[in-house]
Amino acid sequence: MELKLIWLKCKNWIEERYDIAELKKLAKSKLVPQHRYDFLYYTGGITLFLFVLQFITGMLLAFYYIPHVDFAYESIIEIVTKINLGWFFRAFHHWGAQLCIVFVFIHLFGTLLVKSYRKPREFIWVTGFILLVISIFFGLSGYLMLWDERAFAAVRVATGGAGNLPVIGSFIKIFLRGGTDVTGDTLTRFYAFHVAILPVLSLLLIGLHILLVQYHGMSVPVSQENKQKKGEPFFPNVFYKDMMIWLVVLGIVVTLAIFLPPEIGKKANALAPPPEGIKPEWYFLFLLETLKLFPGIILGFNGETIAIVCVSIGIFFFFLIPFIDRKSNRDEKSPIFTVIGVIYLLYFITMTLVGYFS
Amino acid sequence: MKYFIRILFTAFTIFVSNSLALAEEKIPVFPATPVDVYTIYASLAIFWLAIIGLIVVIKMKLNEIERIQKLGIDKEDKEAPILE
Repeated sequence: MELKLIWLKCKNWIEERYDIAELKKLAKSKLVPQHRYDFLYYTGGITLFLFVLQFITGMLLAFYYIPHVDFAYESIIEIVTKINLGWFFRAFHHWGAQLCIVFVFIHLFGTLLVKSYRKPREFIWVTGFILLVISIFFGLSGYLMLWDERAFAAVRVATGGAGNLPVIGSFIKIFLRGGTDVTGDTLTRFYAFHVAILPVLSLLLIGLHILLVQYHGMSVPVSQENKQKKGEPFFPNVFYKDMMIWLVVLGIVVTLAIFLPPEIGKKANALAPPPEGIKPEWYFLFLLETLKLFPGIILGFNGETIAIVCVSIGIFFFFLIPFIDRKSNRDEKSPIFTVIGVIYLLYFITMTLVGYFS
Repeated sequence: MKYFIRILFTAFTIFVSNSLALAEEKIPVFPATPVDVYTIYASLAIFWLAIIGLIVVIKMKLNEIERIQKLGIDKEDKEAPILE
């Protein structure tokens, strides 16, 4: 009874100062379209939920992590072996990151295949695409935090690959590494990216992305415009469904963290040869396999540089799809871009699987 | 015999050192004591039960909301008399 009174007092205090009723009305009046592909709307919510979990577990890990070349590896061992539930939060952060990137990809390809990017939502696509790049960089920078030999070699390969880009490659490589090779400076730099620069950028972009979605409303696929049912109120109907899905996702992350905690290898040593059978994180495998397709020298030019340029062109074309797909912008069906989307998706999945099992 | 013992000793040393290298401990990323393992698995089972319970509660609440929305009694009646 006492609690209810306190709650009511707080509610009144806020309502006297802010127009909460208007906000409630707005939330209730917001309708989410219902059609055959409406399950794709939930992928964005799941990604957001995972981002929040990553922020929370990341903050907990940051209390104990020491971003110094001499202590980074030892501090992680201490987190895992000595800190209460440290092993769990580290494993949770690891699996949360993996699932977050999985859902960013699902969200992106879902958007691509149902053409949710079409006019006037091009900017939502742009912010989402940048968020994908940020998520991947989050993954790469977080991977180096461990400072074991696998992480060291993977970052050396990834930053070295970026260095093969013509004109700006060498600048990017040196900027990322903080020097010519992966050293303690790289660790400091990646830590700054991981805990300061990328979180701020992602918060701003997530805010903008959600704001734009609210401004334009949910997109309905062209094929479903005449078939859709009456919209469902976002609050409470869709929000409750979101909550149920989030609970399942939370359960999955916790289960993965318990049954498959990520291993810790030997401490990184710049002078030691890279360990055998080293592979980058799964979301880089398609890039690695693509690079392998190219011979060392093509018409007298460096094959790796040509490969990086080709991959960059492919990614840039992918990014520009909303601006190239004119038919979708006129609310017409554009099967050619569906085919292009399917090709991109199949290529990504195939090359990732080839890289994983090779 | 002397050489044989020396070879045997060398082989033994190599075997022991290699065995030790093979037995080099992996960094434990999961608690190893049976009590901890039991507690973790039991907690996980309870956690899943709680999740399922919450989902059931939310689903029941959602069904109730949908029923009210279908009846149309969730909307404010603008002509309803105001009680002073």
